[in-house]
Parts: sequence; structure tokens; C-alpha cells
Amino acid sequence: MSSQMLNLDMEVAGSLAQEVAERSGQNLNACYQCRRCAAGCPVGDATGVTPDRLIRMVLLGDREEALNNRLVWQCVACYTCGTRCPNNIHTARITEVLKQMIKETHAEPLIPRIADFHNAFITSTSHFGRVNEMEFMGIYQMKTAKNELTKGGGISAIIDEIKNLMQLSKSMMKIKRLHMGMERVKGMAEIKKIFKKAKENRK
Amino acid sequence: MEIAYYPGCSLHSSSALYDVQCREVLGKMGIDLKEIDDWNCCGATSAAKTNDFLSIAMPARNLGIADASGFAEMMIPCASCYSRTLIAQKTLEGDKDLRDKINADLSKKVEGKIRIMSILDLLVDKAKSGDVAAKASIKLTGLKPACYYGCLQTRYPINVNLPDNVENPQGMEIVCEALGIEAIDWGYKTDCCGASAVYNDAGVSLKFIANIMKDAVARGANCLVTTCPMCQMNMDAFQEKAGAQYGISERLPVYFITELVGVSMGIGASELQIDRHFVEATKLMRGLNLL
Repeated sequence: MSSQMLNLDMEVAGSLAQEVAERSGQNLNACYQCRRCAAGCPVGDATGVTPDRLIRMVLLGDREEALNNRLVWQCVACYTCGTRCPNNIHTARITEVLKQMIKETHAEPLIPRIADFHNAFITSTSHFGRVNEMEFMGIYQMKTAKNELTKGGGISAIIDEIKNLMQLSKSMMKIKRLHMGMERVKGMAEIKKIFKKAKENRK
Repeated sequence: MEIAYYPGCSLHSSSALYDVQCREVLGKMGIDLKEIDDWNCCGATSAAKTNDFLSIAMPARNLGIADASGFAEMMIPCASCYSRTLIAQKTLEGDKDLRDKINADLSKKVEGKIRIMSILDLLVDKAKSGDVAAKASIKLTGLKPACYYGCLQTRYPINVNLPDNVENPQGMEIVCEALGIEAIDWGYKTDCCGASAVYNDAGVSLKFIANIMKDAVARGANCLVTTCPMCQMNMDAFQEKAGAQYGISERLPVYFITELVGVSMGIGASELQIDRHFVEATKLMRGLNLL
């Protein structure tokens, strides 16, 4: 982000900041870098980027960095940063919006498996109106396997993944928490309309 | 008294025990839960991370159904469903355009009149009025719970005006007091368990789980108690893995608040399905002669 910081183009910076502010409903300009958010962020250690840094990237118009850092994907949406922010800025809303922007432009997510997980959840919901855990995890496994095969850790990563899931399924089965039944909403026509409108809303 | 009820997907599958417990325990307190018709998934955090319209419209359909049900209140035990539904209701209250746009496709329109309640809203009211203590014939002496709230019933991305202290909530402590026990004081009650990160970013989530466990153990807790099915699942199913990885030898049962209230009311372990935990959860209670 250093080069962008040195060559700040107000017009470029303004368009990204405005887009993110409008969509997230957050007043990024109110951030005075007190870093209370950073102190409370549980993933800050893992991401290297804390909420205050992300806000800065967006304000400076560094689209590349803002859309390709670990915080955008590893943010667990715990809402600690926003709850503690003296200026009421919810950075978790900003990470949500940045993820949506990445999806809309069909750009490669920095951590594909996290994107795969949420996409699988939504796909599962669109099928039946409710999430059926077995179907959902199946879709997720297929998506991650495809990613691992093409650009990740290959076959061994897929085997590890399946082993972990089998182990969990086995212990869930033992205590009857693995649910095989499928539930479907009767008003699927309404669900389909909601999904259609959601797609039209953002392209 | 009858109130509307939204169980959500998790209470119809891996956390079905929580559904059973809510009906049992509240039923014995004279609250009859009426599941709303043909509800759909609330979208959970995944919708908010994928599409903003979806994240409001999905719970909105349920809100329309709930408004049409004629009940004044709807209880939602799952912290995620509760959070997303409350956020949708508050958002639509202040955004007429979005409400009209969503309502255009719904047979049952969002009116915004039903009051959304968490399980804790109900239980704290009942504890404060003395109803819990009156029904709780068995004092849970010997149980030292660490009340674990997690994120979604604590913090919200919009102002939802909730009464409990955001950094040090007391709702579950108040219920525990009514059951004759004092919950331990600890520092991780509103920390995140990682939720879905346990499946897609395991390193991060296992560390969270280990941190929560370490503090609970260090403060002398002999169990965790929660209201959130995701917190329950993560702390229960992944405790062994996180414990092994971070050198924690203790294993604590992770109860739903409804299990504590239920046992105290004399409801049996099998009726409450306390035998459906990953970390064995009946032994501690039997050892204390509570079951």
C-alpha cells in the first residue's frame, strides 16, 4: 500500500471510500485511528491487518490491498471492533461489503475456502429454503476439493479434509446429532423470488 | 400462555436437543411454544457475507409469517437466528423502500409488530419474577458454571437497544442465581468461538476455543453454559482437539442454559437429552446427585 500512499489520487480514493461507505452504512471518515478496534480484534494476530488499517486502505483508495488482505476473509464478524469504536464504525460491516464486492467482480478470493463455505451455505439455502447440514457440507467439500485440486495442496489436502469430516460425523452419529432428514420450505416460489431479486440487486 | 417460536435449521438438525429442551422447560413454566408455519433459514452470517439484500430478505419472510400469526412475541433460541432476525426487523423499520421491495414478493408482509425475544429474555424475566426459583425444586449445588455468551447475542452491527451489559452480560448469571448457584466470574464470556471458522479456518477457531477453555479452567469452572447452538457445538465437539493442541487436560461439559433449568425443575436426563453431548455431560451432574 506504500506506493498508493505516496501517490494519493483523491478521485480514485474518493470513489472506493464512497462505495464502501454507502454500501456498509459506515462513516469511515470518522475514524481517528485510536485503535481500540485493533486491541479487541481476535483475528488481528492472524491477519496482520487490523480494522483501523483496513479503514485506512479504503480511505486511501487502495483497492488492490483493500480487497486482497487476510482480514477481509478471516474476520469472524464478532462485532467487537464496532461495539467498542468511539465513533460507531462497524468494520465487520466493511469486511462483509468487501467480500460481496469481490464476489460481484468474480475476482479470486485471497482465501478461497472461506468464500467457498459461505457460498455453499447460501447455495444450500437456495435449494430447499432451509439448510440441511449434510447437503451443505457436501457442497462445501466439493467446492474446496475443486480448489485444492487446481491450485491448493492437491490430493493429500483433500484426503485430510475428508478424514476430519468423517471423524466429526462419526462422533456426531454416536450421540445422534447427525441428521439425515431433508427439510424443504413449501413456499419455495417466494424463496426463489428473494434469490432472484438479490442477484439483480448486485451484479 | 402461547408465543410464536422460530427454531431455525440448527435446532431441527445437529442441535435438536436444544429444541426439545426449550419446549420442555418453557412448557413446564406455562409457556407454550407455537412454531411458525413454513419458516425458512435466516441466512445466518453467510448471507451477510454474500449479499446484503439476501441477509435482510430471508429473515423478513419469517417476520411476515410471524406478524401474520397473531402472536405478540416470538422466541428465537439460536443466537445467530435471533441476531439476524432482529437486525432485519430494525433495518426494515427505518428503510421503507427496502421494506416495500421485499414485501412485494411476500404473501405475508412484514409489518414490524412482533416482539423478537431470545431464550434469555424469557428466562431472565421469569427469574426476576421468582417463577424460576419457585419451579426449581432441585438446587444445583456443586455446579460451577462459566456462563459463555459469545458474540451474536451480545454485539450487533446496528443499534438494537438491548438492556444487558455488552462487556459483562449478566443474564445467565441471574438465571443461575435463581437455580441456587453462583456462576464463576471470568474474562472470556463474550469472546468468539470462531463459529464457522472451525470448518474453514480451523487454526484461528481452535485457538479461540483453547483460550476460552484455559480461562474457564483457571477460574475453577466445572462446566460451561451457553444459549448459542454454534458456541455449544464448537466448545463441545472441538474441545478435545483444541485441548490436545494447546495442552489443556481438563474437559468441561458444555450445557445449554435449558439443561440447567430443566434439571433443576426435576426433568430427567433422557427427557432433556443430556446424553447427546460430545464431552460426557451426565457424569458431573450424577456425581453431584442432581440427576
